[in-house]
Amino acid sequence: MEGFVYVLFIVVLAVNALLSIYGIVYRRSLVKKLISLTILSDTIFVSIILVGFIFKYPVVPPVYIGVSGEETYLLEHGSDPLPQALVLTGIVIGLAVNALIAFGVIQVYRLTGTTDAKRAIRVLVEEVMEE
Amino acid sequence: MSRRTIGLIVLLVGVVSIALTTFIVFNPEAPKSVRELGKYYIANTTRDVSSPEAVTAIVWDYRGLDTIYETVVLYMAIVGGLAISTTTRKVSLKTRTGLTSIARTGTRIIVLLIATIAFAIALHGHLTPGGGFPGGSALAITVMLIVPVYTLQSLLDQGVSSTRLIAVRGLALTALGLVAILPVIKGLEAVTNLKFYPSHVAGMLISGSLWLYNLFEFLAVASGFAAVALYLSIPEEVYREEIKGGE
Amino acid sequence: MIVTLIVFTVALILSLVFIYYAITEKDLLKAAVFSAGQSVSYAILLHTMAAPDIAMTYLAVSVGLYSALLVFVISKTERYEE
Repeated sequence: MEGFVYVLFIVVLAVNALLSIYGIVYRRSLVKKLISLTILSDTIFVSIILVGFIFKYPVVPPVYIGVSGEETYLLEHGSDPLPQALVLTGIVIGLAVNALIAFGVIQVYRLTGTTDAKRAIRVLVEEVMEE
Repeated sequence: MSRRTIGLIVLLVGVVSIALTTFIVFNPEAPKSVRELGKYYIANTTRDVSSPEAVTAIVWDYRGLDTIYETVVLYMAIVGGLAISTTTRKVSLKTRTGLTSIARTGTRIIVLLIATIAFAIALHGHLTPGGGFPGGSALAITVMLIVPVYTLQSLLDQGVSSTRLIAVRGLALTALGLVAILPVIKGLEAVTNLKFYPSHVAGMLISGSLWLYNLFEFLAVASGFAAVALYLSIPEEVYREEIKGGE
Repeated sequence: MIVTLIVFTVALILSLVFIYYAITEKDLLKAAVFSAGQSVSYAILLHTMAAPDIAMTYLAVSVGLYSALLVFVISKTERYEE
């Protein structure tokens, strides 16, 4: 049973990543590309956390609460803290980078009047040709 | 049934059948124990860092240098975003009326609760799950709540301008850098924790520099995202006038 | 253990459904809402995977700040995709 859920986990995350890559590459709206990018980064973060998870009952976070004999219990039942620490910073940095992209999208709309990627490029090229 | 629903059903059936086939053919074992590296961190965090929270210990001590550089990326990304949408004009809006007084009172209570919890998350980051990053993002949500309910102008009247928020962020990041560099004057490496900073202050566990890092990162993240929110809520007319006036 | 596995399965299927609708939706505001729903199901996954730090950060960032960011961007640009 654990094995099946483990496989399902990997398959669903892979399909999620493929769907969002489809959204990034084939959708023409820049805002839709931004939404797909956030979904892709979230999927990658969850799959990194999966690396540190153990299919065992019970699983506890790697935090000491001050009970005696806790260390052996945590070594046996605690989840891996290293992937969690790497993802923790990644989420916030990802938000900052996506905010930068969002400002870029708004600026493209201000200059060209559209958020469609192909039409925005066409408008920009025409402006350059006129000059 | 529309084409979308049929596509979804095909996708779901495909996913479940791929998972079943893989499970039956390969019969993979789900992981039952943590890697040795993870065990090392769990076993030694109270001794090396004197923090009961292994995640915060890794973020600010074992991998402290990584996080400092990631903070630089955070800084540069937000500076880039704000630089794109700077206005030379002074922003002053005519509308001061937000939503009704019921919404205002409700928002006041909720904002107070969120701010309290954000501070608790950030300042207890070395003892319980949490830290500077989640606390700062939680505090930034309050600005996103206040802007639609109370309008941007009322925030500007209170003195919460984006210039001041950027100044707070710069100061917090400078302090964070100082905390990282200070051990160098005693001949230690940068981002040294317990050899330089005390683990207890007045009988309270602060885990060396972890508490300071969490505090400054909290301020930096909160003010950075609050500045992003303020810039996003400036109405487009201001920019249209700016583009027209520039020509 | 069985409860954990059921929660995993439900949240995974839910995230797949939300992502499918978010990617195929033409109305960008609805797509942002579906994206928030996907974030909720991922937050359930993260909490069940014994990562409370990440669940906390993720809820604040992905349900709160991303949704607000997307709504601001959509309100400043156009709502419908062609």
